[in-house]
Amino acid sequence: MTATLELPTATKLAATLRGVSKSYRHFDLENIDIDLPCGTVTGLIGPNGAGKSTTMRILMGLVRPDSGTVSAFGQPVSSNQANAKSQIGYFCDDMRLYKSESIAWHMQFVRSLFPSWDDDYAAQLLDRFGLVAEQAVKGLSHGQRVKAMLLLVLARHPKLLILDEPTNGLDPVAKHEILIELMKVVEDENRTILYSSHNTQDVEQICDSIIFIDRGRVIAAQNKDDYLEEWRRIKLHVPEAWQPPAIPGLNLESSFRNLRVVSLNRFQEDIPAHLRSSGASIESVERMTLEEIFVSSVMRGREEAKETNE
Amino acid sequence: MNAPIIQILFLKDLFLSRRPLFAYFVAGLGSCVLAGIPQPTIAFIGFILVVTVAIASGIHLIGTLLLSESTDQTRLFVMSLPVSLLDYSLAKIAVVLTTYLIPWLAMFACSTIFAFVLPWAKPGSAVVLPALFFFLLASFMVQLVFAVVTESVGWTISVMVGGNVLLNVFLMMVFSDPEIAAVTKSDVLTWPPLILQILAVEIGVIAVSLLAVLLVQTRKRDLI
Repeated sequence: MTATLELPTATKLAATLRGVSKSYRHFDLENIDIDLPCGTVTGLIGPNGAGKSTTMRILMGLVRPDSGTVSAFGQPVSSNQANAKSQIGYFCDDMRLYKSESIAWHMQFVRSLFPSWDDDYAAQLLDRFGLVAEQAVKGLSHGQRVKAMLLLVLARHPKLLILDEPTNGLDPVAKHEILIELMKVVEDENRTILYSSHNTQDVEQICDSIIFIDRGRVIAAQNKDDYLEEWRRIKLHVPEAWQPPAIPGLNLESSFRNLRVVSLNRFQEDIPAHLRSSGASIESVERMTLEEIFVSSVMRGREEAKETNE
Repeated sequence: MNAPIIQILFLKDLFLSRRPLFAYFVAGLGSCVLAGIPQPTIAFIGFILVVTVAIASGIHLIGTLLLSESTDQTRLFVMSLPVSLLDYSLAKIAVVLTTYLIPWLAMFACSTIFAFVLPWAKPGSAVVLPALFFFLLASFMVQLVFAVVTESVGWTISVMVGGNVLLNVFLMMVFSDPEIAAVTKSDVLTWPPLILQILAVEIGVIAVSLLAVLLVQTRKRDLI
C-alpha cells in the first residue's frame, strides 16, 4: 500500500517522493509516495529496519533511488543536489563530526557554506544546550554530540528539516532539551519538518501528520488527530461460532474463550450497534494510543502482505 | 561543478591533515639530509628512509583523507551540506594528491639539489632520481585507484605491498644496468635510454591512474 497525506488545495510542497524504490541485497524500499506540505511537521514512524533512514537519505539526495522521482521546493533533487541541500537541514544518528576539531571549528566550517548562518542563534543554542564552543568533539558525550550536530543544522535556518532519530539513545534530560528546542522551531510556520523515530511519544509531541512505514512500504499516512479519532479497540463477549461482521477496517486482534478484542481504523458511532446485532455484547470501547495504533497498523500491514503473497 | 565549494572542502581537508603533512615534510627533508651524508651506512639509511616516508605518507593520507571518512561516518556530515557528489569527489582527489605531492616534491627537489651541490656527490647520480620518485608517485596513484574503487583498507594495503615488491625489482633493474651505473658515477648528467623508457611508463601509469580515479569517483551513484 502506498499513501499520501491529504493536502488542502493550492498547498505548496516542501518535498515530494513519487514512486520511489530502492533495492538492496536484503531489503527493498517499494514504491514510496510522500508529500511534505510547507509548514507541516510530519513524523515517520517505523520499526528498526523499516526503511525510515533510507527514505530520508533518498529525500536528501544522499542515496539515489532505482526508480521514482524526488523533489525539494519544486526542484528535482538528483540533478540539483547541492542547491536542494542548501535549503535542507539533515541530522541522522549515524552522522559524526571530526573528532580532533572543536565545535567552534565546525561552526566556522558550516558557516562558510551557508550565507543564512545565524551567529546570534548559534550562540543562543550553545548556551541553551550547555555546550562549550572550544571543546573538541572527541571529548563530547553522546548527548552533547547530538546537540552539537543539531546546533550546526538549526543555526542555518533550513526551510526543510530532516531529522532521523534525533533523540535515539539520549537520557531523558537531553531528550527533553532537544524536544523543547524542536518545538520552538516548529512554531515557525514556514518551517517543514520530517522527523523519524520508533518512539511514538516523541513523535506525538511535535508532529501533526504521521506516516507509518514497515518493511520498505508506507502502510498508513494521516493527520495525527485523525488517527486518534478513527481508531478504537473494542472488547467483546461473543457466543460460540461467532464470526466478525463485515465492517470495513475491523481486525481481530486476539481471542480468549468467548472474549474477543478487535481494532477498528474507521470507527463510527453506529459500529457498536452493528456488533451487538451480530450477537456480541460489548465490554468496552477504548481509544488507542499512537503506539497501539502503530503496532496494530504494522501487524495488519504484515498480514495483508502475507495474504497477498499467498 | 562549484569551484568555491570545492575550495572550501579542499582547505578543510588540508587543515585536517596539517599535522601528518608537516610530519612527513620534516621527515622527508631529514631523510634527504641523511642520504646526503658522505658515510655509506648513514647515506643508505637516509635513502631507505626517503623511500619509507614516500610510501608511508601515501598509505597514511589515503587512509585518513579518503577511507576514514566512510568508516568514521564524517562523510555523512559533509554530504549533508550543500555539496554535490562531483564537488566532493574533485575536492577529495585534489587534496589527497596535494598532500602527497608536498613531501614528495620536497624530497625530490632536495635529493636533486644535493646531487649537484654537495662536493662529494656525483651529478650523474641525479639520473636515477626522477625514475625513482616517479615510480613512488605511480605506485601511490595505483593505490589511490584501488582505494577509490574498493573503499577498502585491506585492498589498498595489498596494493601497497605489491608496489613495494615491484620497487625492489625496479631498483635491481636500474642499478644492475651497466650504462646507468656508469652515469651515476659520472660528473656529467646524461640520460640512458632505459631511464627514459622507465619514465615514459611511469608517467603513463600516473596519467591513466589519474583518469581512472576521476572517472570512478565522479561516476559513483551513492557515497553513503
